[in-house]
Amino acid sequence: MKAAIKRVGTRLSDKTLRFIFDGREYEAQVGDTAASVLMAHGIFALGRSVKYRRLRGLLAVGPEEPNALLTVGVTPMVIPNVSAPQLQLREGLVLKSQNRWPSLRFDVASLLQLGSGFFGAGFYYKTFMWPSWRTYESLIRRLAGLGEAPGASDLPVAAVEYLSCDVLVAGAGAAGLSAALVAAHTGARVVLVEREPVLGGELEFESALVDGQPATSWVTATEQMLQTLGVRILTDTTLVGGTGGVHIAHHEPGGLAGHNKVFHIRSRVLVIAMGAIERPIALINNDLPGVMLLGAAERLSRRYGALTGRRAVIFANHQRAYAAAARLVKAGVSVRAVIDTRSAAVLEQDAVTARHCASLQVAGVLCLSESAVVSAKGWRTVTGVDIQHLRSGKAKRIACDLLLTSGGWSPAMHAGLQGGGTTRYAADKATFTVTDQPIGRVTVGASSGHFELAAVLSEAASVTARVMSELGLVSDGAGIPMGLGDPAPRLAPYWRAPCTPSQEKRQFIDFQNDVTVADLRASLAEGFRDIEHVKRYATLGIGTEQGRTSTVLGAAILAELKGESIESVGLSRPRPPYHPMTMRAMAGLRVGSALRVAKRTPLHDWHVSHGGVLDPMGLWMRPRFYRSNGADAAIAAVTEARRVRTTGGIVDGSTLGKIEVVGADVAAFLDSMYLTKASTIKIGRSKYMVNLREDGMVLDDGIVLRLAADRFIATTSSGHAEHMLSHFEHYREVDWPGRAVTLTDITDAWSVIAVAGPRSRAAIQHVLGSEWQSRIETLTHMDFAQGHYAGVALTVLRASFSGELAYELHVGPAAAVALWEALVTSGLEPYGIDALDILRVEKGYLVSSELNGQTTPGDLNMDSLVRLGNPCVGRALLDRPAFHEPTRGRLVGVRAVDGCSGFLAGAQLTTLSSTQPLGYITSSVFSPTLNEWIGLALLARAQAIEGATLIARDPLRGQETPVRVTSTVHVDPTGERIKS
Amino acid sequence: MTSLSCPFCGVRELAEFAFHKTLPNAGDDPLSAVYLRINQVDDSHEYWQHVRGCRAWLKARRNPSTGEVLEMNLLGAVTS
Repeated sequence: MKAAIKRVGTRLSDKTLRFIFDGREYEAQVGDTAASVLMAHGIFALGRSVKYRRLRGLLAVGPEEPNALLTVGVTPMVIPNVSAPQLQLREGLVLKSQNRWPSLRFDVASLLQLGSGFFGAGFYYKTFMWPSWRTYESLIRRLAGLGEAPGASDLPVAAVEYLSCDVLVAGAGAAGLSAALVAAHTGARVVLVEREPVLGGELEFESALVDGQPATSWVTATEQMLQTLGVRILTDTTLVGGTGGVHIAHHEPGGLAGHNKVFHIRSRVLVIAMGAIERPIALINNDLPGVMLLGAAERLSRRYGALTGRRAVIFANHQRAYAAAARLVKAGVSVRAVIDTRSAAVLEQDAVTARHCASLQVAGVLCLSESAVVSAKGWRTVTGVDIQHLRSGKAKRIACDLLLTSGGWSPAMHAGLQGGGTTRYAADKATFTVTDQPIGRVTVGASSGHFELAAVLSEAASVTARVMSELGLVSDGAGIPMGLGDPAPRLAPYWRAPCTPSQEKRQFIDFQNDVTVADLRASLAEGFRDIEHVKRYATLGIGTEQGRTSTVLGAAILAELKGESIESVGLSRPRPPYHPMTMRAMAGLRVGSALRVAKRTPLHDWHVSHGGVLDPMGLWMRPRFYRSNGADAAIAAVTEARRVRTTGGIVDGSTLGKIEVVGADVAAFLDSMYLTKASTIKIGRSKYMVNLREDGMVLDDGIVLRLAADRFIATTSSGHAEHMLSHFEHYREVDWPGRAVTLTDITDAWSVIAVAGPRSRAAIQHVLGSEWQSRIETLTHMDFAQGHYAGVALTVLRASFSGELAYELHVGPAAAVALWEALVTSGLEPYGIDALDILRVEKGYLVSSELNGQTTPGDLNMDSLVRLGNPCVGRALLDRPAFHEPTRGRLVGVRAVDGCSGFLAGAQLTTLSSTQPLGYITSSVFSPTLNEWIGLALLARAQAIEGATLIARDPLRGQETPVRVTSTVHVDPTGERIKS
Repeated sequence: MTSLSCPFCGVRELAEFAFHKTLPNAGDDPLSAVYLRINQVDDSHEYWQHVRGCRAWLKARRNPSTGEVLEMNLLGAVTS
């Protein structure tokens, strides 16, 4: 294990912990991030870039870090792309660097860049063209992509919390705290979210005073005040996006999924105070480990006592660099030089800079004006920099192991732009800010381009007060804090150091996607000139970093290359999420059984304890077959089906949808809902009926029972009940507004046991007892009778799913198990859905394979029902000519010509001489009654002639079977059994 | 999550509602009524149902480009 020297930092404690990085164990202090401790251990290269596989160190400290992405965990339970500077270490955490093979120091794929030079944008798609892109795709995909995807689906479920408030403040720096104070003082309900584990933002780096006290004390006092005022403060929480008035904030303590939580926050006002992000200046080899942002070095030093180098050169275009240099010197970094791009004349007018320069020079720091670092030197890390005077061109080399750049700050605009705002460019600060935001959404502080403390505090407070009063949330403007801090940065826009055209491919803009100045030039040359096109062509500003450091820099350099102004180039519109969230977190609790409930029939436990093999069917769990009838599903199903035809059997039909339709107008209502009339059904009788969609396709089928003149029960197929209820309700509102039609879903109120087979009548007479004896005797096909079984309501309907003499027993769930067991005791054995499938294909009855939303009544041989002319929903469109063309499919039966070969649903039907499909098989089963394979098929009307011979071609399963077209009714075509 | 306003139940989460279809506005013949929509970017008449609530069928007027709901009325009760 590697121990480290004890460090002191604002985020560190003295306690230690251990973790593993790339197979080696290291020691860290509690509070350390992966980035800070690896820096402290002298590990500066933390990953490789995604395209060129260049070694990369840390650029930034925060979610803007583009390259130091780690994989946490052990395969397959890994979380990829965790930002190292945000990852709070915990005991025993296992970390891995990314985009390298076999190791971080030596990566095979990185040799590619030595062989062929750099691949520009579009390289892969242009190069790997012969014979086709697909030849190379799988190989290239293996090299591409950010990190390793988790192989396990059981990441912890992210909790979800719903909040409602008047004012949501995103960001708890100076601006956010000021806004929250003003809002909370009015008594408004305020929620404050902050990305970091502590409040205060940039105040920790300024020697500032707020309301007369040191800034850090003011932060502590303000936090207490806000809590007293009832503000909900959420740390480690980032506003990532939102829609429709609800904002999504992701709570990710320690920067690691697994303990995360998603907040859905409904708020009338959103105050965006998410600060600004420091951006680099483009120069040659600016991606070498050891080149980082000035602010990143300051954060590492102050928070974690981690020195990122011994000899630093600072390269900037503003005054703040000097104060930062002084602080780094104090922290023990030997600062060799501060290189400022601003002219000597500008610097002379800048009293603060002059004062800082003087004291830095005393400490031995070289201060150069009107100069730029043009190139970073070194192989694996920085060993020196080349400096050039911008006017004279005079060059100079300085040895160093750290180059700190700062090209200004880009306000965090994602939240504002996601809400529909537009951007405005301010040349004096080199910032884009958001304007024209929707009502109730404002941006304040550094996010709106304010970098001076006094201005930040007062602007945040006054803007918040204004937007609250506009929405009628009274604000008296009390509690506006007064600040005194660092002066404005006095920045002169500067984007990239001079270089020759061939060196532009080493000037990196977007580190995460390896986008260089040369790529932007290539994009323009290829005709992708708009910023949105450039973004996609050059992959500028995509990925986990979402262009935080690269978008504005890219826009500015694009403007230079196009010879246009920055404002005319503009920015691409960012999309949520602002910060990566796992899909698991987005799904929240809507996963597994919470997303998709499993419905169980009252007989569920009986099926389970008697060897029923359950399968989901819609939301229902239904037994496919019973193990006692054969271990193999196919054998068991055939055994069960044969038994139904020879003796009898029972099946759990409780999943059948049942809708009770009651009211004076129901007969007419149902007439309009079904292809045939319900009003002609006699009381105590039932009828098989089909519904059409408004486009004429068959929607569903079922049996409709008439209980009284004004009372029906419409049954639907399993899993369709809810949809059919909505369907009925819709047409009741459209066609029968205010009429007496009441619709009630009674699916769960009735268990259904279907009893089928030659012995079914005797069995139910025996089980139901003497009071039912004669009533059952007199029931003819489609009659039903109502009564009781064991004191529970019972309806006996003589109807058949199987073509056998059969009854449906609709019984209250309380008596379902008793009735089922009594039937089993009487000698009827249960069968499953697979056997039911066999029975119904034998009879040519329809299920979802045939009622697939693409079949008309004509396709299903119901022309005679259509001809009855009932003007129902969907009837009008049935006369379309295309529905009657000879090529349109019609349902037929098929059997193998040789009487023994098999074929499966999905096989295409062709003539003997052609491979042109004329139709396809919708259902196929092995029939125990006929002892051969039988099927149903949709076959072009012209070919749908009984006796014709076709080929069932199934190339995927390697089957070609000659088949004969038959009637759809394979067994008992005259219906003797059903009427027996 | 976006919220919608049900005339019976008040403001409720979007997840309680089901979108059904855009109302025909391109012709009265049956074929047009089923298939043709003008798809105006800022004004869409739609059927919704408060399916996880009171089950009322609703007629909405919405601006699909902004997501703003301009009107949400009961479908049937008005004419009763």
